[in-house]
Amino acid sequence: MTTIKEKAKDLIKVDRRDSKLALAHIYVAFIALFIGGLCGLLQVLVRSGKFTLPWGIGYYQILTIHGVLLGLILTTYFILGFQIAAMSRTSGTFTNKQRLIGWIGFWVMTAGTVAASIMVLLNEASVLYTFYAPLQAHWIFYVGMALVVVGSWITGIAQIMKYVEWRKVNPGQPSPLLSFMVIVNMAMWLICSLGVAVEVVFQLIPWSLGWVDKVDVLLSRTLFWYFGHPLVYFWLLPAYMVWYVIIPKIIGGKIFSDALARLSFMLFLLFSIPVGFHHQLTEPGIDSFWKFLQVILTMMVVIPSLLTAFSMFASFELRGRQLGGKGLYGWFKKLPWKDARFTVPFIGMAAFIPAGAGGIINASYQMNQLIHNTIWVTGHFHLTLATTVVLTFFGAAYWLIPHLTGRVLTKQMNKLAIIQAIIWSVGMTIMSGAMHIVGLMGAPRRSDFSTYGGAQQATEWIPYQVAQAVGGTILFVGIILVLYIVANLLWFAPKGETEFPIGEVSEHAEKTPMWLENWKIWLTICIALILFAYTVPIIDIIQNAPPGSKGYKLW
Amino acid sequence: MSKKSEKDSDLKGTLYSVGFVGLFILISWFMAFYLFVDRF
Ligand code: HEM
Ligand SMILES: [Cu+2]
Repeated sequence: MTTIKEKAKDLIKVDRRDSKLALAHIYVAFIALFIGGLCGLLQVLVRSGKFTLPWGIGYYQILTIHGVLLGLILTTYFILGFQIAAMSRTSGTFTNKQRLIGWIGFWVMTAGTVAASIMVLLNEASVLYTFYAPLQAHWIFYVGMALVVVGSWITGIAQIMKYVEWRKVNPGQPSPLLSFMVIVNMAMWLICSLGVAVEVVFQLIPWSLGWVDKVDVLLSRTLFWYFGHPLVYFWLLPAYMVWYVIIPKIIGGKIFSDALARLSFMLFLLFSIPVGFHHQLTEPGIDSFWKFLQVILTMMVVIPSLLTAFSMFASFELRGRQLGGKGLYGWFKKLPWKDARFTVPFIGMAAFIPAGAGGIINASYQMNQLIHNTIWVTGHFHLTLATTVVLTFFGAAYWLIPHLTGRVLTKQMNKLAIIQAIIWSVGMTIMSGAMHIVGLMGAPRRSDFSTYGGAQQATEWIPYQVAQAVGGTILFVGIILVLYIVANLLWFAPKGETEFPIGEVSEHAEKTPMWLENWKIWLTICIALILFAYTVPIIDIIQNAPPGSKGYKLW
Repeated sequence: MSKKSEKDSDLKGTLYSVGFVGLFILISWFMAFYLFVDRF
């Protein structure tokens, strides 16, 4: 029999068997970062006009690898690995059955990843990571992507089982905040990925196998974006978990409010899904009323986003003042800037300010025409995903990996990690800045280098494309550095104990009301909103379907 | 300074910071809006 005290102590360290499962995910994530990053470097070089790919490799093949590996594989694997560790740390060690389910999910995902990657490498699937019809890939690519999604469901179920078990053992108590957040993210993922699963299984696979020869492009894109927007929140919420729960502990402060954190996560669940049309604002065939409605719902995410901003500033300020910071901004200087676990995610947070502002512009219905399909969009999500999210994940990796491997982050590595983040910011400011500006000048995204027959407008883009290449090359140096640090933490760093930091809630915070964890209420509202936003337009899309399209291989 | 007024000014920096974020968003949005009106 273990006493409660012993049990509490057990919880502090992630069990070794759970560590292995989490680490397996993290390995794949960083392999994806290396290959995807290399492709990113090649892309910026090609687009500068000064470099052509050797051996007949196509630009779109490289771009597909970059998008799939970084947008889909790196993110999903890192997130699931992080969440497994987080559940194990805050809700207790997985049971053997739960862990086995986790491993099954991992191998299903990995089989899918390998299958899809092989088809891309064979140049049978250069359809980019959104795999829009009527571009048609080899069926094995779609089956691979479907397996990635199904595998993530299986791993997600293991996490949910852990949560259900915790709730049963602790009736009437709010679950640990981090576990709660993991489950919100998993719930969102399960609900949204249903859309892409339907698209792939019922539309793309039969069509790529030749069982049917035409595909309804409008429906497939609508199903994709029903998934595609929550996808970006699936990336972002784990970063928010780090900000809300981990960072306060690292800076020696407290979580500003448990209730506020839970409320903002639930609001993200509600307002992340019924909004996919904001990616289809220029799409013919969707009634403008429903686009407008989804634009309104999109703008609602401003509320939890500003709640988050407020909560972050508040916990920083409270801590900084505790340390003797005076005046309006004296507290800011008192923060632990020399600690990579804080500074690296902090840079990510700062990047979210321009990123969020850009997002609001993108979603402003008619104003979307200004930026639609221009490289502004690429500049935008290299701030959100490739800076805010990724730097937060790097910052988390610097304690998570050594915690899982039983090693420590040395002083030199800590310093290198801060340098890495600075290099990343410099490279990204140049690359993303150039992308934003030249996007407003009309330069398209997802295009190989072209002079467009010497057109005046396209000539004006070239200096910015060179700037992109400069920024992108600096970023690639950043990728090499982070991989060096990660390799060190995996295999070479000195053995020792590293803390898995979990913040405590401020004693001034209100008690968390239980309705915040009443899934019946939240899931009902969530599904009601989805039905409200999608039922009529989908019926409309199906009843007035455009003529189906045969498949194209344009690469 | 009395204890009370110290407590009042506790989260002043936060208030200004969030205000700054809001302002930044508004300014960027209006700049884009200006471009939009100019072009379309
Ligand atoms: C060395 C660092 C990187 C460089 C130089 C780079 C460069 C680029 C460029 C130039 C494009 C657009 C190409 C085009 O539209 O023609 C692109 C697209 C993209 N990047 Fe990156 N990137 C880097 C890192 C990342 C990271 C870390 C992520 C995500 C974690 C990421 C995610 C994406 C995604 C999802 C796309 C969209 C692909 C598509 O439109 O199909 N990138 N990248
Ligand atoms: Cu979106």
